[in-house]
Amino acid sequence: MEKEVGAVEESPVVLPLFGFLDVTGEVVTMILIVVFTAVVSLLARRLLRERPGKVQNVLEMAVESLEGFFAGLLGPEKARRHFGYLGALFVFIVLCNYSGLMPGVGVFDWLKAPSASLSVTAALGVATFLFLQAAALLSGVGDYFRRFVSPMFFMLPLVLLDEVIKPVSLSLRLYGNIFGEEMVVRQLYGIFPVGPPILMMALSLLFCALQAVVYTLLVSLYLDEATEPLEPRPRKQRKTKTLAQSLEGGLK
Amino acid sequence: MTSSAIIGIAAGLVIALSTIFPALAQGKAAKAAMESIARQPDAAKDIRSALILSLALMEALTIYGLLVAFMLIGKI
Repeated sequence: MEKEVGAVEESPVVLPLFGFLDVTGEVVTMILIVVFTAVVSLLARRLLRERPGKVQNVLEMAVESLEGFFAGLLGPEKARRHFGYLGALFVFIVLCNYSGLMPGVGVFDWLKAPSASLSVTAALGVATFLFLQAAALLSGVGDYFRRFVSPMFFMLPLVLLDEVIKPVSLSLRLYGNIFGEEMVVRQLYGIFPVGPPILMMALSLLFCALQAVVYTLLVSLYLDEATEPLEPRPRKQRKTKTLAQSLEGGLK
Repeated sequence: MTSSAIIGIAAGLVIALSTIFPALAQGKAAKAAMESIARQPDAAKDIRSALILSLALMEALTIYGLLVAFMLIGKI
């Protein structure tokens, strides 16, 4: 198989599994992240006390500030309703981005930053696309179909295109940012191994969190747009009079 | 000129152009946000989130340029 062009590299398989379920380094890292979050949340649930300890305090503060962030964008009711997906998305993306900064990740084939791979971010984009469609459908089937033709019927192709472009641009943005950062760090390392890469990595501490914020911010804006009830269509004045009106007119 | 030289120049041009113009736009947006924060410090929170959103959308253009440049470099 010939090598793909630059950015879209194939990552080496570390655990062959029937050919179509091959496990790559990104998948291993993602599984580790999922196990880590699951263990932390299970432990935190086990440690729930009336008088919170350290762990509970930190986690409660994190969850509350996250919910406050979504409530500021969506309003408290919708934020509460969709917090499961949005919060999980945020936590997962943050951990994926930060996993690239751990020593050893990206050096061996076994561990790789998941969000520096287009396949992972594309999968996140597909999941987000399905989530948005489902949320819009659940908030009102009639509104869902009317939104495609909302101001005018000829908006249909544009709206359809928009629905497809949303996940594509989300996944390309996340992938490009994380991948670009990694490449910049690598190039800087090649030029001068001691000083500049650390500066860039310190900057990427900021950018990694920012990318997760931006991703979830955009998803919740799309969600707000998609689940907002449409204002009822202005009724056109009927040209044909009703039977009673015409009878009245005739009688006069 | 060989084709790889052309590809190299094209990759350089892509990343240069797609950095220059979003950088100008981001400067404008940051300037406007700072001015409005100075005028109305109470609204700083709202302005900040709107600023971050718009900066991220502009940043995306640069990132697309970066990806295209990487793809071009990979073709050499």
